[in-house]
Amino acid sequence: MSFWKWGLVVLLFGGFFFTIGAVELGRNQPTERISGSAGDVLEDDPVGRLKVFVYELPSKYNKKILQKDPRCLTHMFAAEIFMHRFLLSSPVRTLNPEEADWFYTPVYTTCDLTPNGLPLPFKSPRMMRSAIQLISSNWPYWNRTEGADHFFVTPHDFGACFHYQEEKAIERGILPLLQHATLVQTFGQRNHVCLKDGSITIPPYAPPQKMHVHLIPEKTPRSIFVYFRGLFYDVGNDPEGGYYARGARAAVWENFKDNPLFDISTDHPTTYYEDMQRAVFCLCPLGWAPWSPRLVEAVVFGCIPVIIADDIVLPFADAIPWEDIGVFVNEEDVAQLDTILTSIPPEVILRKQRLLANPSMKQAMLFPQPAKPGDAFHQVLNGLARKLPHDRSLFLKTRDKALNWTAGPVGDLKPW
Amino acid sequence: MKLSALQQSYLNRRSNSFRGSLESSGDGTVKSPASVFWIVVHGVCCLISLVLGFRFSRLVFFFLFSHSSTNLYTVPFRTASEIAVDSNPVTTVGNPANVTTTTLPLAAGSTSRVVVGRHGIRIRPWPHPDPVEVMKAHRIIERVQREQRALFGVKNPKTVIAVTPTYVRTFQKLHLAGVMHSLMLVPYDLIWIVVEAGGVTNETASIIANSGLRTVHVGFRQRMLNSWEGRHKLESRMRLRALRIVRKEKLDGVVMFVDDSNMHSMELFDEIQNVKWIGAVSVGILVHSTNADEASSLIQREDEVEAMMPVQGPACNATNQLVGWHTFNSLRYKGRSAHYIDDRAPVLPRMLEWSGFVLNSKLLWNDGDDKPVWVKDLDALDGEIESPLSLLKSTSMVEPLGNCGRKVLLWWLRVEARSDSKFPSQWIIDPPLDITVPSKRTPWPDAPPEHPSNEKVLIGSQAQANKHSTKTKTPRSRRNRSKRKHDIKVIGVQVSTRSEEH
Amino acid sequence: MGSVERSKKKAQLWKKAMLHFSLCFVMGFFTGLAPTGKSSFFTNKVGVSNRTTQVAPQPSTQILSHLKTNVNNKSWVDPKASSIQTRTTKKMDIESLPQLKHRRLVIIVTPTSTKLPFQAVFLRRLANTIKLVSQPLLWIVVEAKTESTEFPEILRKTGIMYRHVVFTEEFTDLEAELNHQRNLALKHIEHHRLNGIVHFAELSNVYDLQFFQQLRDIEVFGTWPMALLAANRKKVIIEGPVCDSSHVIGWHLRNMNNETEALTPPIHISSFAFNSSILWDPERWGRTSSVQDTSQNSIKFVKQVVLEDEAKLKGIPSEDCSKIMLWRFNFRTHISIH
Repeated sequence: MSFWKWGLVVLLFGGFFFTIGAVELGRNQPTERISGSAGDVLEDDPVGRLKVFVYELPSKYNKKILQKDPRCLTHMFAAEIFMHRFLLSSPVRTLNPEEADWFYTPVYTTCDLTPNGLPLPFKSPRMMRSAIQLISSNWPYWNRTEGADHFFVTPHDFGACFHYQEEKAIERGILPLLQHATLVQTFGQRNHVCLKDGSITIPPYAPPQKMHVHLIPEKTPRSIFVYFRGLFYDVGNDPEGGYYARGARAAVWENFKDNPLFDISTDHPTTYYEDMQRAVFCLCPLGWAPWSPRLVEAVVFGCIPVIIADDIVLPFADAIPWEDIGVFVNEEDVAQLDTILTSIPPEVILRKQRLLANPSMKQAMLFPQPAKPGDAFHQVLNGLARKLPHDRSLFLKTRDKALNWTAGPVGDLKPW
Repeated sequence: MKLSALQQSYLNRRSNSFRGSLESSGDGTVKSPASVFWIVVHGVCCLISLVLGFRFSRLVFFFLFSHSSTNLYTVPFRTASEIAVDSNPVTTVGNPANVTTTTLPLAAGSTSRVVVGRHGIRIRPWPHPDPVEVMKAHRIIERVQREQRALFGVKNPKTVIAVTPTYVRTFQKLHLAGVMHSLMLVPYDLIWIVVEAGGVTNETASIIANSGLRTVHVGFRQRMLNSWEGRHKLESRMRLRALRIVRKEKLDGVVMFVDDSNMHSMELFDEIQNVKWIGAVSVGILVHSTNADEASSLIQREDEVEAMMPVQGPACNATNQLVGWHTFNSLRYKGRSAHYIDDRAPVLPRMLEWSGFVLNSKLLWNDGDDKPVWVKDLDALDGEIESPLSLLKSTSMVEPLGNCGRKVLLWWLRVEARSDSKFPSQWIIDPPLDITVPSKRTPWPDAPPEHPSNEKVLIGSQAQANKHSTKTKTPRSRRNRSKRKHDIKVIGVQVSTRSEEH
Repeated sequence: MGSVERSKKKAQLWKKAMLHFSLCFVMGFFTGLAPTGKSSFFTNKVGVSNRTTQVAPQPSTQILSHLKTNVNNKSWVDPKASSIQTRTTKKMDIESLPQLKHRRLVIIVTPTSTKLPFQAVFLRRLANTIKLVSQPLLWIVVEAKTESTEFPEILRKTGIMYRHVVFTEEFTDLEAELNHQRNLALKHIEHHRLNGIVHFAELSNVYDLQFFQQLRDIEVFGTWPMALLAANRKKVIIEGPVCDSSHVIGWHLRNMNNETEALTPPIHISSFAFNSSILWDPERWGRTSSVQDTSQNSIKFVKQVVLEDEAKLKGIPSEDCSKIMLWRFNFRTHISIH
């Protein structure tokens, strides 16, 4: 009998804790972010700290694609093109692959745009595979590490998962051939299959020239409390609602459209950039992916970014103190956005604005032509340099190859 | 099965002990520790199932939110029954584990909060915007703007000394209110010297009292003249009067001449902070072509005015050197301009308006140590001066402001009613309740016509064609007006007015 | 006790205990479902699932109607009580609350036109006045689509919270254009369900600042006398209501000496204000029709509503609305008063 009663008690308590545990799984993690002081790391000079070898690929992997659609140059994924151009003329480039710390494969996988300018990543896996096949057969360096000292720029929504729908992207996972490689991508979300350890998260491309033209004097009084322009519902791709932005944007609209403090709309006015410069807070909610160009725009225009994207990994988070310059709102707390924002003490807001005014912060968000010290290119190089020296264990012996060239969906195995 | 067996055996025990405790309470003996234990266990179990239930519901919705294909809008404050009916939790209760494994490939070992799939759109039910939060937000904005001014605005601003000649007339409130609002917005210390022709009146005092500004309101014995020429001259003398006050009180700051017919860009007040001794800004001249009688020429003339707004002020060469003055070209209006306030013709400015100049008040002081030699003494002037340039021995010392005069920062528009025009004293109407004709209808513009059957509109005889238009309407039958004390009336235009003292 | 009775009792007690447990479980279950408002102590702990749900498989358009019925009804019932409730649960810094005076939102609508002379100058003057009005205030400035950045530049230097609404239609008639713009602004208000007192401020208006304080006292509709000033005229034209305290008992009207039409002479659009919720929540005011039902012309709708319910019309200032706080300066020469 006593066995039974204890058994029962144990069972009940066990069940109790189990249930709690299961729910705890879903709760937020303590956010860990390296918030180094902005100045130090951002102003690092990567020159002399690393050497990059740029593979020479047939132009069909890059230049020809760009010729087909020059819109790729202004698109938010244009970082893959500008990174290539930058590396070609950068002092960190080496022509001697033997002394290179990093190998770069210039392949524009995201430059396949639909007529209305949305990128279709369906061919990207095959293209990437083809490029890797090429470099692995023409040079010995890929096989040495199976790509562990190679980096790839994959700026698409879900990076190297190469699909714009999150569920599909997760299903696909990162292209198996890139398992060991370092990815430079805009996508960043903790504990997501499309973000592997050691990836470098970069800002999306925003046209620096165009933004510069729209700069207005800093003394222009900020008279908008919260600003947002963009979609709330993606009726075309998400007619039911609730998938797009995980419902967060819809919640912003439904809760705050009637609030005069929230200047939110789907219209894209000609004064968009100017309006951001006269706003105190700029909403940066997730869309289909957790990031959006608003992050860059907000920082450049000194508008405090209100980041609504759970577990987002922000660009250069090891160098930019996002916690200090931005406001993070959990997706589930969107309905309390006004309370959250109005209860921030004014001193804290002013401090965030002061930090945002730091030019090095803005520079790190941009890919200017020509490159400037401390810009996003340099931050990528800094990130790569900080990964050096490579762990010796990366250099494999020929027999313990791990890469499975036949993994992944059958469709991806077709030649490009 | 096993669980139920367990529970059965446990309950057997428990029922025994319960009975035992009941029995023991009857005869007042001490409860056995076992029975106490079982009561506690029972309570704890109840509590546990409560918590379990709570947690379970959370779990259910955790998975429901993430994976259910139905649309989930969050509406808290709904009753339990509604939820039971609506959301049919049973379907999802069964297989939360399945759901995790199938659609959450990353769930195993993952600690992300983020769940892929469908999410609820959280809509909070309480009214918003919350008024307190709105005020807090505005306070934040205000604080941010103040900080911006501190960071990017003028450092160590000088006091602004605004000099305004005025007098009581129909357009006074209209003009003076606009100017006053500009002055009220100035973020620097400001002293407003208002000189009133014909002596200090309550009319003017009540207007400027609302400004909350530091004002000096002084009267000028002479009445305002009826001719534009005379008015300009008198205004010059009134301004000199104000300058003497500046000198006497040794007011320190930038003196500007704020005409009550000026309109200001707020940038002007920042710009004048740059003046060292005497500065000049460009004034946009708005020539009002009045109600000219010939309608045909109107459009043409208006286009003309619109096409180019004349500007008077400093003229600079390419190297930002003052080379001369843009003055108002009155030739275009020759023979068409007004001489008297009553004239129905465009009112023209002087060659250079006073309002285009600003001075350092130290120029006026008697014993300023660093007072430049090129400035005349106030008392040396006979009162008849055309513009502040007459204060100077040489105009070369004038500093052109506003990107060397290229930026127009203030405007001039002089419009007046006839000098015998009447208006209600302090703009308070005496309601003349005698001249009324009943009307049941609010005279909204372009109001949609009522149903003809309900209403007849009669036009009252116009006894005084130019003065009154009285209209009669029969009461609309469907409207019940019994609750009103009075009938709606239409009152003629000419309300009783107090004639202005001259 | 017989063993039969005993086992019966056992079963009874067993049932009872199970009932207790299941009751507790169900209680717990529904406690979990019950709304916690924001930041009940669970919210931070229990991640995503801290919300009750409703199955409503409909796209966004229906959400609006759903909201209209559910959320707003609630808010109208007792807005104060529930806002207090949320405030306490929200744990705000209470010591700063007393200094914050709640004020009603004022929505000022200003149409513009290139047909108006010197509109940029008058816009600046109007902005200087509006900037002095206490918050909260929203200024909606409507402008035709243009290459020029003059207006946005003027507006953003003011520091006023404004919305710049742009339209592409072209008009030859000034009044039609202005009306279209007012309608656009009202559509903006309706779309956003902005709640405040709407007032149409023309560029040629000049205000006594007290006017805006009075404006906030309006519940539904307000009207006031207004003076129209024209150059070189002897007469001041006063239009607007005649009141007994705040009760409208008559009207000052413009001279209509050659009036033959069966219409009452119009009073100016700037001489009335109304509660914006009439646009998007007509039920609140006991109306069955909304703007969409009747026409797309919001101005017309508002006027019609006022016409049908003059009892709600409040004259301001409330002391027999005899004080003029708004002047209109007739700068446009071609609209001269005969």
